[in-house]
Amino acid sequence: MNENELDRIFAQNTDRRGFIKLAGMTTAGAALLAACRQAEETGSGGGGGATGATSATGATATRPAMSEEPGGLQVFDWSGYGNGDYYPDEEKEYLWGQYLERTGDTPEFVLFENDDAGYTKVAAGTTYDVVHPCGYKYQDWVDLGAMQPWDTSLIPNFANLSPNLVESGVIDGQQYFIPLDWGFIAPLVNADHVDTSEEDTMGVLFDERYAGKIAWVDTLNMFHVAGLFLGIPDVYNMTDDELIEVRDFLISKKPLVRFLWSQSYDFWLSFKKEEVWAGYSWPDTVGYAEAKGMNYKYLQPKEGRISWVCGMGLFADTANYFHAHEYVDSWSSTKAAEFLLAYYYYGHTNTQVDLSVVSPGIVEALSLDDPTALEPPLAIPESYMPRRDVYAQYWAEVLAS
Amino acid sequence: MATLEPAVARRRWRRHDRGVTAALLSPPLLWLLLFFIVPVGFIAAYSVGAISIFPTDAGVVSFEDWARFLSGDTIYTGLFWKSVRMSLTVSVVVVILAYPVGYFLALCASKRKYVLLLMIIAPFLTSYLLRVLAWKVILGDSGVVNSLLFSLNLRSSDDPIQWLLYSQFTVMVVLVYVWVPFVALPIFASLDGLDRSLLEAAGDLGAGRLKTFWRVTLPLSLPGVVAAFVFVFVPTIGEFVTPLLVGGTSGYMYGNAIQDAFTRGIDWQFGSVLAMFLLLVVAGLMLLFGRFVQVRSVAA
Repeated sequence: MNENELDRIFAQNTDRRGFIKLAGMTTAGAALLAACRQAEETGSGGGGGATGATSATGATATRPAMSEEPGGLQVFDWSGYGNGDYYPDEEKEYLWGQYLERTGDTPEFVLFENDDAGYTKVAAGTTYDVVHPCGYKYQDWVDLGAMQPWDTSLIPNFANLSPNLVESGVIDGQQYFIPLDWGFIAPLVNADHVDTSEEDTMGVLFDERYAGKIAWVDTLNMFHVAGLFLGIPDVYNMTDDELIEVRDFLISKKPLVRFLWSQSYDFWLSFKKEEVWAGYSWPDTVGYAEAKGMNYKYLQPKEGRISWVCGMGLFADTANYFHAHEYVDSWSSTKAAEFLLAYYYYGHTNTQVDLSVVSPGIVEALSLDDPTALEPPLAIPESYMPRRDVYAQYWAEVLAS
Repeated sequence: MATLEPAVARRRWRRHDRGVTAALLSPPLLWLLLFFIVPVGFIAAYSVGAISIFPTDAGVVSFEDWARFLSGDTIYTGLFWKSVRMSLTVSVVVVILAYPVGYFLALCASKRKYVLLLMIIAPFLTSYLLRVLAWKVILGDSGVVNSLLFSLNLRSSDDPIQWLLYSQFTVMVVLVYVWVPFVALPIFASLDGLDRSLLEAAGDLGAGRLKTFWRVTLPLSLPGVVAAFVFVFVPTIGEFVTPLLVGGTSGYMYGNAIQDAFTRGIDWQFGSVLAMFLLLVVAGLMLLFGRFVQVRSVAA
């Protein structure tokens, strides 16, 4: 175990601590906040419905100038996206160096462990200035009434972002999110142990031949992966019968699984030590495997990879409207995009990125030079799940089985 | 010289005493009220839908989730009993392992006992997560245990023992490891306060060492043992971090279900039902055990 890895473990450790803290806070503190909000609403006699977004639009004219804003931009984000958990100096320099230069402001980072935990916290009444969720949750955030659309004319780098990908951030005709980082979900296999001569399939994650050597992820995405494998037409909006079919399938295959990861780096450590040979994987693990010189294959399953795009949203009641736009402009820059690619092996919607910052093996494994890689049939974009609560219930049953 | 009548003095002293008691007790009581009673009240309110996280939810009181849970048709009842089983096993093993430690410290270690006690609780100076992660290094496929088996040719290196990591077994091993030093404390406390002359008397009356232990030492240290048991059982039954880190697919516990309901499930009402149920069970157990554990006898 080299020094770098130890750093990572520590970084992860902080991350988990943050998460535990967060969990504690959501349960105890949020109850209070929610109650206060409830009281407020009852008091004003507002007639139901999540319609907060309307109040947010078209108010740019009456806003105070940036110099009059309080600053101390509060960014609600994943670990390692600027707070310095993984690369303290580089995250600061590449992701928000431009912001610091232009505004003189140092952002404050508050972390969430995953989309759902972040969403729950805001649903309970906490607000920040900027949040960084993934595409399939955009609609939920907007429905919550917590977001307002961006004024893209205030984001010069917006012109460099792929119009195709940026479209996913448009909700009700307005640019509520600026899509930035993207990646895939697909099986990563150790080619020394897994037969890669067969056609690539999601099925490797359910293959009896690799019993005890498979890692799944501990999220609802397992329903999408299994659903694609079973040939279900819309894995994001399954019927009850389909959900039951997938649930029973997952329960029947669970004994083959060594563990379910919740931190990508845990999966990598286990993959590296060959404790698992096949696993549900994000691009970062592919990057580590390439750097380590492992004999790996990042599958391009016949069912398609799952693609995801995450983006920045602006809180409806932010007092740092112009600061927030500067922050997103910084994140939209080529510099930020190259950092994400070189350090995390994530794609970026900025089309000016120099792909030579990573090895040709990575460019190929992640199809970075293929503009169609994020679209069907090569990939199924992750999308909004209207019945996610039902998915969650069924997933809990898989876990508890 | 004006001396107070004894009765007046006593009354005054009593009034003074009451003031001191109130002053001493109010901060912890206030703390308990603000950070325990009130939040529990909120959880109870969530569990019947009296309050909800989403503004769109009507906030209508309904016992539907309680009925669903108590009907026993959900997976959660089974999960609860699984957690109880795991937690009971852990608690019993911990108490059995911690008793000799407490015994040694209290009755054999003499002058050095506090130094030794400090050494036993020294691991608490490191992060809980690091200690759990360390077990991954020990129990992994290429970890300490498996490597040892490989090098002794007891096991082929292609076929490591897999259930060592990511299983119910792992969760229990880690929990036992974490709780032994903690639990040695109440046992130590009850044994340390033991009147040694009782042991001498037992010897004088012809009891052997084993008989003295069974008839004198053990019964007298029983409150400490019960307290120790409760110390482990109550927190481990709601445990969710350890299963998350080393539990794999089979180590999922009731605490994880609560956490999932609040985060991934975004179903605070049902999550609150699960949490309240656990709280009620634990409170019931505390009342039951409270009959055995006299706080004073442990503190002594």
